[in-house]
This record gives sequence, C-alpha cells and structure tokens, in this order.
Amino acid sequence: MSLIDAESAARVGSVAATATGEVNRRDWQRWAAAVGDHNPLWFDTEYARAQGYRDIICPPLFLQYAILGVAALDGLRPDGSSGAVSGSLAFPRAPRRMAGGESTTFLGPAYHRDEIEMVRTIESIVEKQGRSGQFVLVTWRTMYRNQQRELVAEATTSMIARP
Amino acid sequence: MRSSQIFYEDVQTGDPLPALTVTVDERQLFFFSAATYNGHRIHYDKDWARDVEGYDNVIVQGPLQSALLARAITDWIGGRGRLVEYAVQNRAIAFAGEELTFGGVVTRKRLADDVGLVDLDIAGRRGDTVLMPGTATVALPMRGAPL
Repeated sequence: MSLIDAESAARVGSVAATATGEVNRRDWQRWAAAVGDHNPLWFDTEYARAQGYRDIICPPLFLQYAILGVAALDGLRPDGSSGAVSGSLAFPRAPRRMAGGESTTFLGPAYHRDEIEMVRTIESIVEKQGRSGQFVLVTWRTMYRNQQRELVAEATTSMIARP
Repeated sequence: MRSSQIFYEDVQTGDPLPALTVTVDERQLFFFSAATYNGHRIHYDKDWARDVEGYDNVIVQGPLQSALLARAITDWIGGRGRLVEYAVQNRAIAFAGEELTFGGVVTRKRLADDVGLVDLDIAGRRGDTVLMPGTATVALPMRGAPL
C-alpha cells in the first residue's frame, strides 16, 4: 500500500504556504548564539561596514526563520511540530517526520527590518525505499523576496516521513 | 574575532577547511529549538523520543547540524567572503552529547564575471560516520580588488 494518500498527492504543484515577516537582528543574533556562531558580520556594525555592507547582515541560514508566524498550542501536532511552513501536509501512514535536506542559493544580504515574503510550492511527493524501509520524500521550492521585490534567496527543501 | 581574510588566490583544489568540532548538549538543543520556534518533541522530550519515535535519546535538530556546517564555512571565508550556494542532506541523526565535526574540502575554483568562486564538498560527521553530506559554493575576494 502506498504511504502517500490521494489528498496529499493532489497537492503537488500547489502553493503550500506563503508568509511574510520582518528580519530582526535580535532574533538572528539569538539564533547565531544558539549555533555558537559569533561571526562579527551578524553582530558588529563597524566590522560589517568595513567589509562593504551598509550594516550588520542576517546570517544566510537564518532567513528561513524570519517569516515564521505564531503557532497556537491547540493547533500543534501530537509530536509538537506546527506544520505551518510545510503547508500542513500530513501522512497518516507515515507519521514520523524529519527534515530531509536543503539546497539554497543566496542572492543578496538581508538587513534588520527588511520585510521578507516567502512563497513555498510543493514540488514533488515521492515514495522511496531506503536502508531502513519505505519512506515519503516531500520537496518544496521556496522563494524569498524583500520589500524591493528583490529575490534574496531561493531554496529547495525536503522532508522525510516514515511509517 | 578573525584577523586575516582569505583570498581567492590563496585557495587550491584539495585544500581542507579548518574543522569545527562541537558536542551539542540539551541546553543548546533547547536554545536552538527556541530560536527557530521548533516545538518538535524529539528535541526535548526523552520519553517521547524513545517510546513514540524509537530514538535512544533526544536528537540534534537537522537544521542545527546544517547551521554548524555553514558556520564552519562562514568562519573560513571571512568577512569579505560570501556564501552563494549551500546544499546538504540529512543522512543520519545525532544524539545530544555526541562529538560532531564539521568541515569540507575545496573541489574546484573558477572565475565567473570576475567573481572568484570556490566549490566545496562539505560534511558533518560523527567519527567516520557522515551525518550530513553536502556541497557549497563561496565567493572569495580577489587580492587588490576594491570592496
């Protein structure tokens, strides 16, 4: 039996999620600190200016979190995840989920208070056979634009769901 | 924080990046989940991780492994280097308390529109086990080029 239900399969090609959010330096600095990443480009304005930027910049990998919204506790899945950015795809026959991978092209820096718009499309949902058995691989394509409509980053991300 | 800038001319195919070694503990897992607004129980609820999802312990977030691997790159390329492409796969999980190493090697260098691009093979490892393989492209400044 396929792990992919018809309802999920029908959503390939559709927009899974859109979101907007303001890039915030305290948020990215908390993220960087949690990574142990004290790169002065994220923290030190004078240093960043000396490298040719107009101010400190958002760490490239933080951009994806700048658009996160608010999750109500009642709306969480039993495993505690929110599903907001994945378009609430759920696979009843493959409920164990983990991040698969990400591939991102960064086209320009993001600064404090930039307004980022994310548009995420479901690119594919396929069933695969791995060493530990069958799994579902979901791939999304995501564009991040700033308030000047400049493409800041373009990403392909994936998620693995297992029975 | 860093005193010297690496330049395109300094880099040769086969050069390794300085490795970053990190042992992620529960505090770091918590702060990373908080910083990324991630409520997934497998990163803080040992009973859930073991009894429901079948893991021996709470597990390191894939995005944290990824962020640590990116940190190894951005530490190396300096303030005038730029991360252009970054791609990783989650191949294996890591548990809290395990020593992980993040690094890479230069696979190619090329000029594109007068920008010095360097391609890397990158990986997060636990011992000899590759947890997170990937590739990246960085732009490095040329010696004598203006900002």
